[in-house]
Amino acid sequence: MRNPSFTSNIRSILLVASWDLMKLKNQKVFLAMRVAWFTLQVLVFARAISFIVSQSILEYTGGVDYYYFYLLGIYTSLIYSTSISRGYVIADEFDDGIVEYHLSLPIKRGVFAVGRVLGSSLSTIIFTLPMMIVVYVILGVSNLFSIIVSLISALVFSIGVVSFVLLLVFSVKSTDLTDILVGAIDALLVRLSTVFYPLPVIEASGIAPYYVIALMNPISNLADFLRILVFPEYYMVFKYGVAPIVVYMVAFSMGLLVLAVEYYERKLEAGGWK
Amino acid sequence: MKSKAVEIENFTKKFGDFTAVDNLNLDIYENEVFGLLGPNGSGKTTTLLTIATVYKPTSGDIYVYGHSVTREDYVVRKLVGIAFQDPKAMWIDKPYELLTWHARIVGYSSSEAKKVVQDVMELLGLWEHRNKQFYQLSGGTRKKVELAKVLIQKPRVAILDEPTAQVDVLSKHALWDVIKKLRDEGTTVIIATNDMFEAEKVCERIAIIYKGKLRALGTISELKDSIPSGDLVEVQFEGGGIPEGLLRALRDIGRVEARSSVLKVYVEKGEEKVIDIIELFRRYNVKILRIMVKEPTLDDVFTYITGAKLREES
Ligand SMILES: Nc1ncnc2c1ncn2[C@@H]1O[C@H](COP(=O)(O)OP(=O)(O)O)[C@@H](O)[C@H]1O
Ligand SMILES: [Mg+2]
Repeated sequence: MRNPSFTSNIRSILLVASWDLMKLKNQKVFLAMRVAWFTLQVLVFARAISFIVSQSILEYTGGVDYYYFYLLGIYTSLIYSTSISRGYVIADEFDDGIVEYHLSLPIKRGVFAVGRVLGSSLSTIIFTLPMMIVVYVILGVSNLFSIIVSLISALVFSIGVVSFVLLLVFSVKSTDLTDILVGAIDALLVRLSTVFYPLPVIEASGIAPYYVIALMNPISNLADFLRILVFPEYYMVFKYGVAPIVVYMVAFSMGLLVLAVEYYERKLEAGGWK
Repeated sequence: MKSKAVEIENFTKKFGDFTAVDNLNLDIYENEVFGLLGPNGSGKTTTLLTIATVYKPTSGDIYVYGHSVTREDYVVRKLVGIAFQDPKAMWIDKPYELLTWHARIVGYSSSEAKKVVQDVMELLGLWEHRNKQFYQLSGGTRKKVELAKVLIQKPRVAILDEPTAQVDVLSKHALWDVIKKLRDEGTTVIIATNDMFEAEKVCERIAIIYKGKLRALGTISELKDSIPSGDLVEVQFEGGGIPEGLLRALRDIGRVEARSSVLKVYVEKGEEKVIDIIELFRRYNVKILRIMVKEPTLDDVFTYITGAKLREES
């Protein structure tokens, strides 16, 4: 038995999601630049850094070469930054009144929210796909399973971040404040994560808030999950195993998605953009 | 009893401390072209966006076919389509792409969407612009893309916010025909405008709103009749003068201004009084060469009601 309202909701979600995908092709030049920059970063700067750090850190990475550790870190931070930059897209749309148009469409608000989040996070994954290929080629990953699981986990992560930034933009309703907050959160959260250093190193630094934030940081969780997928030996670093990471990631994303849906259904109203 | 498509009940909308719409009460009947007439800043757009569930009322409620915009917003959105005052698109968007997405969202299958989008775009003369980017389009063309969304959707209630602003005069007439056709096919049309010519041309009933408040409501002739002695019956007659008896009889009908061969009578309901006037001329054997009833314009009505001008002189 097919529930007609369920199938029609799925249809609506996918159609709404196609809004963001439709816009993606306008970003070809931007994408080419990002890929070039990323490749340069990976091939030149990341090598330089890992040349400096490499030997001393092996005991904290379960034997994983720092260069590889770092590659998955910057790939994760790229997914994060791309997801959070969707905030600028939404802010631009609000500015141009597209939000009013969207709110007038014959779609349930909650369904629209899910479609919008899904579209933005799928765009993020597609946008970062060339960079993922660069990284996975360098790492020599050919296991289809781990590639698919990587993509799914990146999508789940992105859903959480996009939901968060949607809530943020709609709450502040201001171009300037969006620029400031999104920029700050982007820069800060990447630094307070395991993108650059493994958890034990951060713990050893003795700065407790740094460690706690890095531990709870969704960016850390995705980076470490991707590392475990590619280098099972990295698993050694985690006292509590991999299950808490998975549970945390899913709870983070679904929690924020539910909040975004609630916001769309109960509070969201056009107008008042500054 | 005509059935009601939209009922606006004690609707108030505030933005912060500012009251944009103040306790509005209004019924819009099924299958009429209804006009919201008022100068910029009257609260027309605010009202229309609330009917479309884009804004929420601060107090009061609006019902579309009995469904509340506050409690059943989704049901309302399935009944309503809106063409916004400011066309909603990013500068980089292309009309065809935008309208195809719109068609899919409002329920067409992929192949139906292609067809209806092409039909509507051809009807509005948009087909040649289909793959241009929005910043390349003229203001009038952008407004037509906005109108196309509603024509594609064919909603029960169509909301058109200043549909022909920025559109050239020739296209205006074509769009008015399109709007009337939409009504003929069963849609209730609500138009906001500050163009009294447009209001006279397409609207059957009109609400005059000014500074957030309803000032007058009725058909165009009802509104015009609401101005005391607002009509003017102008008679050109043969011969050099008017018999004293005829003049006296005419003065019972309205205020009279007589010149050598033209006579003006200021009356209420000119279209009815003109028959009496013709009858009097016949009785006194004065031959009428030409007779005209001039109504006050909606501008006159607006000025009479609000003491303001509909459009600021530029
Ligand atoms: N989102 C908003 N925030 C604050 N003020 C608004 C907003 N929208 C409209 N207004 C104000 O409400 C009044 C009515 O505006 P509007 O409904 O757009 O009038 P109209 O469509 O008749 O020109 C105006 O004074 C306008 O500045
Ligand atoms: Mg307006």
